[in-house]
Amino acid sequence: MRNILAIAQREVRAYFATPVGWICMFGFLALSGLFFALFTMLYAEEAANQTFNPYMGNQLNMDEYLVAPFWGNTYIILLFICPGLTMRLFAEDVKSRSMELLLTSPVSTMEIVLGKYLGAMGYITVILACTLHYPAIWFWLGDPDPGVMASSYLAVFLLAGSYCAVGMMFSAFTSNQIVSVVLSFGTLLVLWILGWGSELAGGTLSEILEFASLVNRMESLTKGLVHSKDLIYYFSFIGFFLWVTYQRVEAYRWR
Amino acid sequence: MIRVEKVTKRYGATLAVDNASFEVAKGEVVGFLGPNGAGKTTTMRIITGSLGATEGEVSLDGKDVAAHPRETKARIGYLPEVPPLYGDMTVRNYVRFAARLKGVEDIKGATEKVVAKVGLTKVAHRIVDHLSKGYRQRVGLAQALVHDPEVLILDEPYSGLDPAQRVEIRELLEQLVNENRTIILSTHVLADIEALAQKVVIINAGKIVGQGPIQELLAGMMDRRRVVVQVKKPCEEALAALSAVESVLEVDPDPGGVYNLITSDECRAAVASAAVPFGLLALSGEGRLEDVYLHLTRKQK
Repeated sequence: MRNILAIAQREVRAYFATPVGWICMFGFLALSGLFFALFTMLYAEEAANQTFNPYMGNQLNMDEYLVAPFWGNTYIILLFICPGLTMRLFAEDVKSRSMELLLTSPVSTMEIVLGKYLGAMGYITVILACTLHYPAIWFWLGDPDPGVMASSYLAVFLLAGSYCAVGMMFSAFTSNQIVSVVLSFGTLLVLWILGWGSELAGGTLSEILEFASLVNRMESLTKGLVHSKDLIYYFSFIGFFLWVTYQRVEAYRWR
Repeated sequence: MIRVEKVTKRYGATLAVDNASFEVAKGEVVGFLGPNGAGKTTTMRIITGSLGATEGEVSLDGKDVAAHPRETKARIGYLPEVPPLYGDMTVRNYVRFAARLKGVEDIKGATEKVVAKVGLTKVAHRIVDHLSKGYRQRVGLAQALVHDPEVLILDEPYSGLDPAQRVEIRELLEQLVNENRTIILSTHVLADIEALAQKVVIINAGKIVGQGPIQELLAGMMDRRRVVVQVKKPCEEALAALSAVESVLEVDPDPGGVYNLITSDECRAAVASAAVPFGLLALSGEGRLEDVYLHLTRKQK
């Protein structure tokens, strides 16, 4: 555990010692801030309009019309920043040969993989913590459901965790960060698009695509419904990519 | 203490190390020599446990390095040819990180101690990427020493250094040798091996072609020792006169009146008298590690 934390801590620090970390943070906060402001204003306008229409007013639900779409958009921002965050995790160590420090230290391969992954998730936690004032403002302005808010954060964290697991795996397969970022972004994009396909395709294919789509599964979480099958899905997804990364790093010892 | 037993390493079809065996006793300093690409780095990485051997076994005090990685790695310090640095960290943070990974209890104390020892105190607050190559090498050495390992494996510690930096690292190495650690040192600076090591292992094209105490290897070369003669008036007669000396096997003239002789026994007096008529300027002929090295590594080709 001590080793995992040491590696994770180093990774989090490295994010803030290099421009990549600051750029991703700036990008995420600027865009999510923009979405927050726009969506909140639109919702306020709509709410104001509907005060004159009591029947419609009952239909307007803050969780459904403001909170859910806002988080839906942050998923897209994460799709862009996660490959950028994870591209260096292994590729840079291999290229700069600092991997040799990890491989010759009394540290197991699993500790290296988990340490690096936790480092990336630590960074994600930091930038998500910087968005806590959005819900604070919503609670101040209106009356959103705290449960929905909590499960939305859980959803975004799980999605980022899945993206980072994919990105880290590609980083372990190449010493070129550009290749790593392109492959992971491409893969995540395909997984994203699968979700659209599920609506168009019919029958079994639709079910398969629905199953494979990371994002469609977010829907119930953003509605505040935490199903164990969804949690198991995300944890297995993350676990699978961590396992592949582990196998790859283990193979470093054989080349 | 370290036992390398029939170690073979294949990278696909290439044979990097071929059935290598040697032993290093506790407190011994061993020079590990060989041309570039001979398999030195591969062998060293196998000893550190960061690379798996295709066949064979490396053990540290009887413990298989591959089977007990955690235990054995904690006892080995390794400085690769390119120091494994994180350029974005400060020197102090980097050494602390290494100390933490290597399971050091008193991280702060060990860091400060090793930073002072390798002469990094002045730059301890600086970012590793901003340091000169000599300092980076020292940071690499600090990483290898921070857990006070019994075994130290140094792969080309002089690579890419200027003469002044080389002298500095050499002084550090002398200090380490005096601390009674077991050291495997690979370098092309044979003079340093002669000065620091008691034993050498010579590898060529993946095979161990020679090993043993330096003095023994030199003694083994006695039937082919090198004598260098320099005369004032080089000419055909001089060449003939030198070749005529009994026990001179080969004469190879160089510009400037220099003749490189290979002799089968101690015959410096005879060589000197043969050279005097042509104006003898200099004569040298001690057995040198370089001769052993060149002889053993060329023989294979």
